Amino acid sequence: MWNTILTNARDEYAQFLAEQDRTSGAFLEIGSPAQWSSSAPATGDGSSLPVPVAVKDNIAVKGYQLSCGSKMLEGLHSPYDAAAVRRLRHAGAEIVGKTNLDEFGMGSSTDNSAFQQTSNPWDYSRVAGGSSGGSAAAVAQQLVPVALGSDTGGSIRQPAAFCGVYGLKPTYGTVSRYGLVAYASSLEVIGVLGAEIGTVADTYRAMRGEDEQDHSTVAIPPEATEPAAADSVRKIGVLQGDLGLDEAVARNYQHTAEMFRELGYTIVPIELSTLEYVVPAYYTIAAAEASANLARYNGVRYGYRPVFSENPEELMRMARSEAFGDEVKLRIVLGTYVLRSGFQDQYYTRAQKIRTLIRRELEERFHEVDLILAPTFPVQAFAHGDSGMDPFQQKVADRFTGTANLAAIPALTIPSGLEGGLPVGMQLMGPAFSEERLFAVAEHAATVEPVRFPDRSRSFEQWRSEHGADGARGGK
Amino acid sequence: MDMSELKTTIDMAMLELDETQTASLEGAVEQMLEYFALMSTIDVEGVEPTTHALITANRLRRDTARTDVDPDSLLENAPDLEDRLVAIPNVL
Repeated sequence: MWNTILTNARDEYAQFLAEQDRTSGAFLEIGSPAQWSSSAPATGDGSSLPVPVAVKDNIAVKGYQLSCGSKMLEGLHSPYDAAAVRRLRHAGAEIVGKTNLDEFGMGSSTDNSAFQQTSNPWDYSRVAGGSSGGSAAAVAQQLVPVALGSDTGGSIRQPAAFCGVYGLKPTYGTVSRYGLVAYASSLEVIGVLGAEIGTVADTYRAMRGEDEQDHSTVAIPPEATEPAAADSVRKIGVLQGDLGLDEAVARNYQHTAEMFRELGYTIVPIELSTLEYVVPAYYTIAAAEASANLARYNGVRYGYRPVFSENPEELMRMARSEAFGDEVKLRIVLGTYVLRSGFQDQYYTRAQKIRTLIRRELEERFHEVDLILAPTFPVQAFAHGDSGMDPFQQKVADRFTGTANLAAIPALTIPSGLEGGLPVGMQLMGPAFSEERLFAVAEHAATVEPVRFPDRSRSFEQWRSEHGADGARGGK
Repeated sequence: MDMSELKTTIDMAMLELDETQTASLEGAVEQMLEYFALMSTIDVEGVEPTTHALITANRLRRDTARTDVDPDSLLENAPDLEDRLVAIPNVL
């Protein structure tokens, strides 16, 4: 289907994107059809992934902007493709635009973007989640079948849950970070949001693999790239105790566990004693790495430059102070503090030791169960503005997602139905390199709980038929 | 963290914030550091820190020139150029 659209209806599809994006504001930039493909092999019958892809605006795509949702990089154009993007293009994918995000990936609402608000396609008064909120909204709005995001502490999975789509955070190092603008290097990874698990899996397969331009990529064991055997997952762990979930999410968590039981899996109650330490350890490490990574923005070689400054040092201070938003400044200051001489043992080193304990505990659990089913986020999509969650509450709520980033393991958010008319998403976590098993189980779950779209969203085909022959001709 | 520590940290981070901004940042930083204090309640005696979860050794690539990115296209993103040099304000 997409192959035909990308071959025969490019202008119409571009028109559809521009028109339908007005409601949720998922895109920061929509490319013209000429921008979509590159010098890589053109889409054709031989390509394995002939789909349009939206890319989060902190991942480099040649010919497109690379703003990271920040005034600091407004107007910057990427002169190259990220390694993951290059591989997708080789597989036949076309990049149709760049999606909105919280500034530099820091946030859970996408309201921290310096440029625009992105709204949840299910309820425009609510956020799409973050930081990959634009990518999630673009998929939920049926604008694209698949979108790239980055996940440092839940930034793919939480918006996927808020918008009712799939969101994969792969094993750390299986997808090259070359061309991903760095925020917290030891935690983050490029991943996929999508409307169908098969497309998500194919997109990941096209991107994965070692890359000499990212020394932190790892060799994937060959057996881990084979489709998972039907009986490779039997036992699924479910977290016990008070998880601090709101009522609807708690109910959905139970229902989802029950669904897996009915599908034939053995549900095993488990506990994670390190769970309460996930967020403090995660934010200590993320802030520390952010303060180092964002030190490069100084207004000299590229990016925001103040109108006037007396000398180079003032240029740097003014550029940073004027161009970074509040959340970014908070994390830079926190990170600078935890790395200061005299405080390192108390914060940064301690957080890294706790990271070891979290990894070990998960390794032990994966001796007892094949996968863990966990909530993605304790609440459903919250409202824009002050009536929603405050920034501190949003951080505390990262406890279920941050775990996988600290342990470098893969995690996949799957749609798990609606509660009160809004989607909920649950998360499957597995040991390192277990992506194929996650896909197989998600495929199985989709037979009971497939992805749903908001009633007012339109697929390209629906939109085209509603526009009638005139609309179709008008696009030519 | 007291105000003078905060101001030192802001200075080290190459930021310059006015009194209002500093005051609002102080509350947020304080809240996070109180939360970080939870980390002191878990025993980490003898535990090795994890810097990267899956990387076991440094990997190097060949020290050869590449032509992936055209230098002129990088310079196009500079705010101010003099010939092929990035221009910044004078020190004096």
